[in-house]
Amino acid sequence: MVSHLDVFRQEAAELLDGLEGELMALEVDPADAERVDAVFRTMHTLKGSGGMFGFSALVRFVHGLENAYDMVRDGRAKVTPALIETSLAARDHIQQLLEVSGDSAAEEALEQSDTAQKLAAQITAFTGGENEAPETAQAAASPGPKNETFHIRFTPDPGSLRNGMRPDLLVDELIECGSGTVALVTDAVPDLDTLAPTACHLGWELVLTTDRGREALDAIFVFSEPEEVQIERVDTEQTDAPTTWEVFETAPEAVAAQPSAAPPQSQSKDAPAPPAKPAQKAGSLRVQARRLDDLMDQLGELVIAQSRLNRLSEQIADLSLSSAAEEIERLVTGLRDTTLSIRMLPIELVFGKFRRVVRDLSGELGKSVALETTGGETEVDKNVIDSLTEPLVHIIRNSIDHGIEAPEDREAAGKPATAQLRLSAHQAAGEVLISIRDDGAGLNLPAIRNRAVERGLLSPDDQPSDAELSQMIFRPGFSTAKTVSTVSGRGVGMDAVRRVIEDLRGSVDVVTEAGQGTTVTLRLPLTLAIIDGLMVRVAGSVFVIPLSSVVECVELDAAAARRESGRTVLNIREELVPYVDLSERFGLQGHEAVAHPRVVIVGTESRRIGLVVDDILGQHQTVIKSLSVYHRAIKGFSGATILGDGTVALILDIAAFVKLLSGDVRAAA
Amino acid sequence: MSASTLEAEMDDAGEATAPAARQSATFLTFKLAGELFAIAVTSVNEIIDVIATTPVPGADPFAPALINVRGAVAPLVDVRERLRMPSGDMDGEARIIVLELPIAGESTRLGLLAEGVESVRDVALDLVDTMPELGARWPAEFIDGVAKLGDDLVILLNVETLFSPTV
Repeated sequence: MVSHLDVFRQEAAELLDGLEGELMALEVDPADAERVDAVFRTMHTLKGSGGMFGFSALVRFVHGLENAYDMVRDGRAKVTPALIETSLAARDHIQQLLEVSGDSAAEEALEQSDTAQKLAAQITAFTGGENEAPETAQAAASPGPKNETFHIRFTPDPGSLRNGMRPDLLVDELIECGSGTVALVTDAVPDLDTLAPTACHLGWELVLTTDRGREALDAIFVFSEPEEVQIERVDTEQTDAPTTWEVFETAPEAVAAQPSAAPPQSQSKDAPAPPAKPAQKAGSLRVQARRLDDLMDQLGELVIAQSRLNRLSEQIADLSLSSAAEEIERLVTGLRDTTLSIRMLPIELVFGKFRRVVRDLSGELGKSVALETTGGETEVDKNVIDSLTEPLVHIIRNSIDHGIEAPEDREAAGKPATAQLRLSAHQAAGEVLISIRDDGAGLNLPAIRNRAVERGLLSPDDQPSDAELSQMIFRPGFSTAKTVSTVSGRGVGMDAVRRVIEDLRGSVDVVTEAGQGTTVTLRLPLTLAIIDGLMVRVAGSVFVIPLSSVVECVELDAAAARRESGRTVLNIREELVPYVDLSERFGLQGHEAVAHPRVVIVGTESRRIGLVVDDILGQHQTVIKSLSVYHRAIKGFSGATILGDGTVALILDIAAFVKLLSGDVRAAA
Repeated sequence: MSASTLEAEMDDAGEATAPAARQSATFLTFKLAGELFAIAVTSVNEIIDVIATTPVPGADPFAPALINVRGAVAPLVDVRERLRMPSGDMDGEARIIVLELPIAGESTRLGLLAEGVESVRDVALDLVDTMPELGARWPAEFIDGVAKLGDDLVILLNVETLFSPTV
């Protein structure tokens, strides 16, 4: 049973992901009213649902932001780069607020943290203390900011220090708002023998002249109890405001958290966008990922049971049984395709996150980088998507930190100052290819070579190819960076990338060209669950080849094989295709020469190879079971499956074979 | 032994439990190269007959093949090499002990090849001795201790080190 709280957290996390994208789009086009609306609605929903679940700190924090975007919406303010910057930082803060449970001590600590206070101040500075109450809206309508003087008396509750309140920060913030005098009120400090050291006995009195308006001051005290604060305007110049000192409620936010005291006006304000209404797309349904996993598991069992049924029906050879078995097979295939499609998500979900990473990182490192993504609509299994973010972040960080040069260096090298970082995805032969390409300096191969020799990975006499040197960056702990920056250089990144990708039964490759850039390509299986396979027999064992990588099957002409002895290349329609005898490769015993061995031609995008097998047995719906820790490291297998007769068959990893064979061919040449 | 006799022996073992004050643990004992080994019953899922295995090309002789255990693919583990014992053919007494163990941080189901399953026994922990340094050919890191049960010497295996993917 998942609690409502978990649902809220999950929805909020999705809202925040969306928010990031909207904010960054706004940065590009600040006048986009639709996006402003979207940001406002997100804030509003967060505030509304947050309130329902007792995330009061979240509610108080989001309130200011909501106001800011409300003002933009009404045309009372404009989107500025500073607002975007603050909003992005605020988004991260909201994420933290969500992680701590509602109203706990952690929430308070976070709320009182310097970051939070600073953000709140920045937001307040933007809104100019704009308040929700209608009378304030009128005040805001009056032209231009003007200096006003306030008399502020701030007497924190004696117990407030124990709650983590920092009166000093509040006073600092007030001082930043303008100029004036600060006086410490010590009247309430008791004699030493009755003084409780953990209580706050002090008060502050300030006379402050500021152009930010009363609401800015209110916002500073947004977390304080109303009785602790008095803010009174001193009428130093001619305004239409009341001439007497006025005591008023300080914290509309606090009021919002206590509905009984809410002013009626704020209700009407909320009417256009009712709170706590999660964004819902027509015709879609939110399902727990766990249930999808269960469905997939059960489907896997069904597919295995069905192949057993097929086998029985073949043995019994009864017409009515076989037609029923065929019908069930057809239905199971349909069910499988539907179930798999439910799990497929566009990879844009991951790509979207990187706009922020690239933006922040290039700012931090003083580099100018334009991110371009293509193929975001490519669909990948949800579990693959979930695991992809981290490796991609590592690769992108490496690209920006190590690959891409500073703008001056780029210009000196005759390249545009702004670097291109291309993130692309597409599907090919049952795999998803994701490539990350930068037009930076490329890998420093001589440095990699030195480092590899230093670490004993290469002997000084070795003459590795550029491709082999490039692969060194995936070794554990390998880094040529002289200093470890906050961004990268610890030498854990690429190693971790390789591990994650291999756990997903994928592979990672890097190609680099000095001065031109580096391309990292990830190959991933489309799905982790069920594939169509081709069953083949090799020396008494059955293996499964993913059907999506099979190009064609040909007969190995025994005469040709003899004639070409010493050369394992087939001539298929004028194309030379290297082949490998699987029984030889696997060292399988008891292999007798078959009269007419078959060759299954398999291919990845760029290469074709042939696999020599004894016989081709037919198609098989293959439920992929991952291999245990004992067998995972063996190259050439991507998993195992259970056949109709209950035996286990290994699934060949074609990409690994292609790589293996290309290596062999090079080594032999 | 068939599954039913094993159950009967398990019942016997239950009745014969030593006085409550004495600390004991329950072990499944099985034979390899004529020696009697013991493994805690808490990690044992079931005992099955030897079934068709699928050799994994390029695999370590420690885990040479895969088996189908009730619809799940499990590695078949042969500990004889690790225990420096000859790996001959197994006869009709041979069984596969299905274990469920945390290995390298993940719960793993595996089949352990045994030349014969003997019985389930309670072993009083104060009867367990450490393996004498020179008394055996087995690497010490795989052995938790030895216990003398009647006329039998039983070697208690350390599942953590014995089934670790790398030595």
